[in-house]
Amino acid sequence: MTATQTSAVDATVAASRVKDAVNLSHIATVARDVRETVGEVRVRTPRMRCTAVNVYYGDKQAIKNVSVDVGQNEVLAMIGPSGCGKTTFLRCLNRMNDTIAGCRVTGEIVMDGEDINARRIDVVPLRARVSMVFQKPNPFPKSIWENVAFGPRIHGLAQDKTELEEIVVNSLKRAGLWDEVKDRLGDPGTGLSGGQQQRLCIARSIAVQPEVILMDEPCSALDPISTARIEELIDELREHYSICIVTHSMQQAARVSQRTAYFHLGDLIEVGDTKQIFTRPRHQLTEDYITGRFG
Amino acid sequence: MSEILEGHTVRRYDGELNTLHLLVLEMGGLVLEQCREALEALKSGDLETVRRVLTRESQVDALELKLDDNVWWVVGRRGPVARDLRVVMAFAKAVADLERIGDEAVRIAHTTLAVYDDEVRRPSRKLLRDVQTMGRLAVGMLQDAVALYDTFDLAGAESLVQRHHELDAEFQSSLRRLSTFILEDARNVGHAINAVLLVKALERIGDHARNLAEYVIYLVRGEDVRHGGAHPPQEGAGGGRGSR
Amino acid sequence: MSSVAPAAGGVGVLPRRKFELVLAGMPRRRAAEKRFRLYGQIAIGLGLAFLVILFASIILNGYTAFWQTHIRLDVTLDAARIDPQGNRDPEALRRADYNELIRDQLRAMFPDVSGRRDRLALYGLVSNGASFDLRDRVLANPELVGQKIALWVPADDDIDMLMKGNVDRSVPESDRRLKDNQLAWVDKLAAEGRLQQRFNADFFTRGDSRDAELAGIWGAAVGSLLTLMVTLALSFPLGVAAAVYLEEFAPRNRWTDLIEVNINNLAAVPSIVFGLLGLAVFINFFGLPRSAPLVGGLVLTLMTLPTIIIASRAALKSVPPSIREGALGIGASPMQVMIYHVVPLALPGMLTGTIIGMAQALGETAPLLMIGMVAFIADIPKGIFDPATALPVQIYLWADSPERAFVERTSAAIIVLLAFLAVMNAVAVVLRRRFERRW
Repeated sequence: MTATQTSAVDATVAASRVKDAVNLSHIATVARDVRETVGEVRVRTPRMRCTAVNVYYGDKQAIKNVSVDVGQNEVLAMIGPSGCGKTTFLRCLNRMNDTIAGCRVTGEIVMDGEDINARRIDVVPLRARVSMVFQKPNPFPKSIWENVAFGPRIHGLAQDKTELEEIVVNSLKRAGLWDEVKDRLGDPGTGLSGGQQQRLCIARSIAVQPEVILMDEPCSALDPISTARIEELIDELREHYSICIVTHSMQQAARVSQRTAYFHLGDLIEVGDTKQIFTRPRHQLTEDYITGRFG
Repeated sequence: MSEILEGHTVRRYDGELNTLHLLVLEMGGLVLEQCREALEALKSGDLETVRRVLTRESQVDALELKLDDNVWWVVGRRGPVARDLRVVMAFAKAVADLERIGDEAVRIAHTTLAVYDDEVRRPSRKLLRDVQTMGRLAVGMLQDAVALYDTFDLAGAESLVQRHHELDAEFQSSLRRLSTFILEDARNVGHAINAVLLVKALERIGDHARNLAEYVIYLVRGEDVRHGGAHPPQEGAGGGRGSR
Repeated sequence: MSSVAPAAGGVGVLPRRKFELVLAGMPRRRAAEKRFRLYGQIAIGLGLAFLVILFASIILNGYTAFWQTHIRLDVTLDAARIDPQGNRDPEALRRADYNELIRDQLRAMFPDVSGRRDRLALYGLVSNGASFDLRDRVLANPELVGQKIALWVPADDDIDMLMKGNVDRSVPESDRRLKDNQLAWVDKLAAEGRLQQRFNADFFTRGDSRDAELAGIWGAAVGSLLTLMVTLALSFPLGVAAAVYLEEFAPRNRWTDLIEVNINNLAAVPSIVFGLLGLAVFINFFGLPRSAPLVGGLVLTLMTLPTIIIASRAALKSVPPSIREGALGIGASPMQVMIYHVVPLALPGMLTGTIIGMAQALGETAPLLMIGMVAFIADIPKGIFDPATALPVQIYLWADSPERAFVERTSAAIIVLLAFLAVMNAVAVVLRRRFERRW
């Protein structure tokens, strides 16, 4: 709590300092306790609608009253300094936080008219609809084929072997990996390069035919060329899926997303059209962060 | 320097933006001086001053090149976003306008040479009075516009944009007055044409000064007010591959 | 030193001077490094030396047991005495007095021996097992009856010791187990070429015996094998299941903490306590047979379970969480994550733990003493309910025996036990390789 207050004070000081120099009447006043989210929280065609989501680790609150929509066929980028809660929030969207002991989520996350946090919702089918790609490429230590076939197999998506093959091949194609691995589907997935591994993980996610794909810093362990390929892939995937991506690279957020959300110490400070966020952010904290004036 | 440019974690970035800023101010000052001296020479007929204006034009060009070079390097190296992006873009655009203003000053200087050509008789004070009036207005605007780049004063910028109408009206009326001069005495045609060229140049200077003020508004507020602010930011153009 | 410290801070020191300071310290650093390495090498050297001494003493003591002195007897298989009816009835053949045949032969070879004591001493040259060998030959091939055959029979353990040079002839006769006349007979036999060191197959095929020359390791080996099979069959599935549940599914609360502490403590409980527990629970309460490999296996299971559980949990913990997350992230249920990913990856580690546990169990003596596997059992066990003994217990029994010949047999048994362990470890390594190669 003290940390929040201190930084809020800091932010206020920073804001007033700038205001002295420039007339920044449009900048929202920084409140001390609860920060209202600035910008367009809602979209016309939401795929997931989060309302007043709070996450607690024990008695520490990691996410404070966050409301935001994930739009249909849009890439929503979440940016913010380390420990701001963006990954925690991302993991709420398919209840990966269930696996963390002492983690408590309140609020509503509605998908197709149902709150995914409701007691009767089973996480297994939920995660088949909202699948996740992680920061570190984590292919299973099995063959490339097995990596992709795992999801459809456990969910019983394929009736027979040909159907399974079709799913695997299509997923690999869609992930842009097919041409590189078609001759060695039996090779271990862990033998691929980092970028290929990450695309394999994306193929693995696609194979369960999800509606939303969550990506937690998918390029942070990759070189620029691999990163570019993943970004191109994300852009293509947008036609079929909604994508939420957490990234530390603001340039990446600007490149791949349609909407951007800025988190700061568990608050969703600002969300809006990516172009607007990166040309004229409305909140002082957002501006300070993306222009490299943080801290 | 101005706090609008500072506060980056990377201090050198502050320095780079400040260098840009100083160069813009320097160029603004130089261009302002050019306009003032050109007008002064027109009034006094001091051909020495005219030549000084003409030779100093190369300094303006050199500053433009230097500024552009700096802008490219900042963009390439830092990839500015948000306010920084607006600052750099505003500066880059201001450079172009300042250079044009410099050109107009040179044009005024050249016209001055024609006006005070020994073989031609001196124009009447009346004929040049309009030019002097417009000159005061235009240079006043330019001075304020350049000052805006020091203060980043939003209100000042907005009022400056409004002042453009005043100059416009003055331009129209001086054109009408000049045409009556020509009708009165056909011998005035040569000087009247020079006067028209001069007021046109001054009108251009005013236009550029307005542009400079609009860039400041964009810089501070992030809103493009040019052409009546008719272009709200478009939705969904950030993602690269066009709309769905 | 303190005068150097501020200078080394770099304020008033020229780069060159600083470099000299660094150089000046280098010999000391290098020496320290060398010393450090040396300590390690000494430690390894000492360990290896002790190992070599141990192995050398055991092998030097034990290798002779793989050879046994045999005496060649030309036995006449008198049909009238073996098979009076002449119908070669196996039952009759079995019941014939082969011992007498051998004794006759011995008397024939040394006709001048007379007197009851001397005769008994003469008969004592040959092992009690010789008549059984003869019987087995005849039963296997009844055609031999009526013929005169050359038969190599094991010599008595004292003769064996004499031939292996373990009997000191200079000791006064009264202090010797072999009397002067026996020495003379042996010398005569040796001179006739009737004494020979032959490979001691009996040692590997027979059960225990009071006669050292007849005592074999096979009964104990089978007992150990059966016991271990029971242990493995029970402790591996139980241990892995417990580890998987505790590591992956159990809620973290006071109860699981308690269980965890108890498992860790069980690993440190002296093994004899498990023996007492087995005696009280399995034998006295459940009424399971004494000395049976089943009970031994149960007791050893109790003993190895903590080892296996701890090792398996460590193996499960070492599976990177990213694998779990990856599977969970596309909607695998926790059990699918376990079965498809975590357990296969942890299996090599689990197997290692299991093999370590098994090796411990193989070498364990104390708990087996408590449940009666220390009894003298000459028969080779046929199943897990038969009375049996185990290799380490056999070693313990033989080490206790007074006869000189058991000394080398003890060492030989230790060699067999070590070989057993080596084979088990090799199997473990092979298994681990096999599983690990699945990336």
